[in-house]
Amino acid sequence: MKNWILFLITAVVVFLLAMLAYSIMDRKNEAKYAYQPKVEIGNIEPRDSIWGLNYPRQYQSYMKTKDTSFHSMYNTSGHVAVLEEDPELVILWAGYAFSKEYNQPKGHAHAVEDIRQILRTGGPMEPGEGPMPSTCWTCKSPDVPRLMKEIGVTEFYSKKWSDLGAEVINPIGCADCHNPETMNLTITRPALVEAFEAMGKDVNAASHQQMRSLVCAQCHVEYYFDKDAPDKKGAQYLTFPWKDGMDVESVESYYDKLDFADWVHPISKTRMLKAQHPDYELFSLGVHAKRGVSCADCHMPYKTEGGQKFTDHHIGSPLSNVENSCFVCHREKKEDLITDVYDRQRTIKKGSQNLMRLIAKAHIEAGKAWELGASEEQMKPIQEGIRHAQWRWDYAVASHGAAFHAPLPTSSIVTSGTSIIEESRLQLARLLADLGHNKPVEMPDFNDTEALQAYIGLDMEKERADKAQFLQEVVPKWLEEGKKREAGYSIEMISNE
Amino acid sequence: MGFWQTTKRTLFRWKLIPPHRWRRPAIMLVAAIVGLGIYVLKLSNAASYLSDDPQACVNCHLMTPQYITWTHSSHREVAHCNDCHVPHDNVFNKYFFKAKDGLYHASIFTLRKEPEVIRALAPSQAVIQSNCIRCHQDQVTDARMTATIANHKEMRTDRTCWECHRDVPHGKIKSLSSVGYQIEPIKEYAPKDMEVIPAWLKSSMQKQNTQNESND
Repeated sequence: MKNWILFLITAVVVFLLAMLAYSIMDRKNEAKYAYQPKVEIGNIEPRDSIWGLNYPRQYQSYMKTKDTSFHSMYNTSGHVAVLEEDPELVILWAGYAFSKEYNQPKGHAHAVEDIRQILRTGGPMEPGEGPMPSTCWTCKSPDVPRLMKEIGVTEFYSKKWSDLGAEVINPIGCADCHNPETMNLTITRPALVEAFEAMGKDVNAASHQQMRSLVCAQCHVEYYFDKDAPDKKGAQYLTFPWKDGMDVESVESYYDKLDFADWVHPISKTRMLKAQHPDYELFSLGVHAKRGVSCADCHMPYKTEGGQKFTDHHIGSPLSNVENSCFVCHREKKEDLITDVYDRQRTIKKGSQNLMRLIAKAHIEAGKAWELGASEEQMKPIQEGIRHAQWRWDYAVASHGAAFHAPLPTSSIVTSGTSIIEESRLQLARLLADLGHNKPVEMPDFNDTEALQAYIGLDMEKERADKAQFLQEVVPKWLEEGKKREAGYSIEMISNE
Repeated sequence: MGFWQTTKRTLFRWKLIPPHRWRRPAIMLVAAIVGLGIYVLKLSNAASYLSDDPQACVNCHLMTPQYITWTHSSHREVAHCNDCHVPHDNVFNKYFFKAKDGLYHASIFTLRKEPEVIRALAPSQAVIQSNCIRCHQDQVTDARMTATIANHKEMRTDRTCWECHRDVPHGKIKSLSSVGYQIEPIKEYAPKDMEVIPAWLKSSMQKQNTQNESND
């Protein structure tokens, strides 16, 4: 009898164990579907809407970068024509496309439509036409890493802007910063990796917190197009001038050593430099960077929705979101914090506006000196002053956030630019007097953009007409072709929950 | 050998050894138990529960909301599940509590009795509270006052921390369906050789570098 009982108990134990094993398998299978994403995101998926199926909160907040309603005292998320605000810019950038049109930056979602609409890119009616190289697309779209992977990096930099119009149709998005398999932050733009190599640093060694700034530093930096990179003949190779350092003087001497010029100014005949939004460089000099704050900490603060904390992807001015960005560390009144920001911006703007006008005058005075028969020898030191002063002015203002990010370094840049240009204008005054012109040089009306554009010889009507024709005839074709290509992408749905 | 001898003796004394005719099926059944037992251990990933790896806690998808909320919290940098949820006074207590808690979790999960919102029970709450104090002692108590005021320490530590700090670290809203989709691996637990440069970019840059070298 006892044996029977034993036998039965043993059999029951085996049965129960088998049941347990089955139950574990069952729940393991359940796990496969419990928190299952909807789609398999492919290698470099350029369409944000596909990523959005898996990450609705991040996607929907990112789509708010379309919003153009926010205005702070000096900046905006909407459309503001800066040449209308500061017409002197037309003189500063004479001979360079920036004198045609220059607007305040809008949100990421507008990147592609804005680059098509801006007069600077012209109205190329056929592929291969137009003033701009394909390199101008680099920071506009997740289609860029896709293309670089398909055709090669150097090849990507070797075309015309108009060659890739049908290929680049998605504005800046998920794939620019995220690895689709792990969602970790990733660097997709070669220029940043190369710049780190040039400085002797390894970008892979960056901590998570540093990555929260470095993904921004792929684009929000000063750059130039290197036309004589070894083995990259014919390419306009995107390069960051960081080899000797990121501050304004180091980059200036880097360019001087290369004898690099973005363009030659038609009035003063100066070999000019154009600074482009050195946001990361100047931010790095500021107190927030010193305290280990990253770009995302203020521009993409955390948000909680339905019990889940996530990073708010509505990237824009922290001034529109002071409670979530500044309040994490600063427990002051919202008004006081905003006033502090405006104070810094106002002070620096005053200095940079003044500097801008001095540089515009210097260009015209230099033009007058050439007219009166000055020699290259006499003009050389003056031109160097103009080059350096305008570089410094541009470095300080092209980084829209600089007055807040790093008020001290920025005001010192403005101050140094001002003393350089005043020195050059002194030399100019002496030179003009030697040439028999001992009185103020006649200036055009610095308050009328249109008149100044005519003064530097721009045919704005033609520019606008070309652009309108291009937008009407070429862009729809680009879009059609691009959409057709994307319709051919296969999407792997995992679940339809 | 001594062990087997005594075991055999015990089995015979209590007449637990089946008669000759029955021995073969009995052996098979016992072997089935052992084999299935080993299989269950493997299937349930049992060895992982000995580690401090937070991934072990998400062997069951039931803990996914807790895992995801933790990976989005500031504690992720400094504390794992076990730093807060098991006692740290001594190693025996740690594993005893872990086993007790783990078996309770496993049973409820197996019986499909898990609630939509899971809450820490009293013993667990005591453990969590003592762990808050373990790391944050200097923030809640003052050494000078402890020396001079009789019940300073009790006064400062007998209220549960989460009476005020309700969001720490799993957020205020907790339920099986409160979080989004899948588990995202984060850099802190990524392999050492993880790179931030995608493979396609790396290989294309290597190609360019070798080209440059061959032309120099």
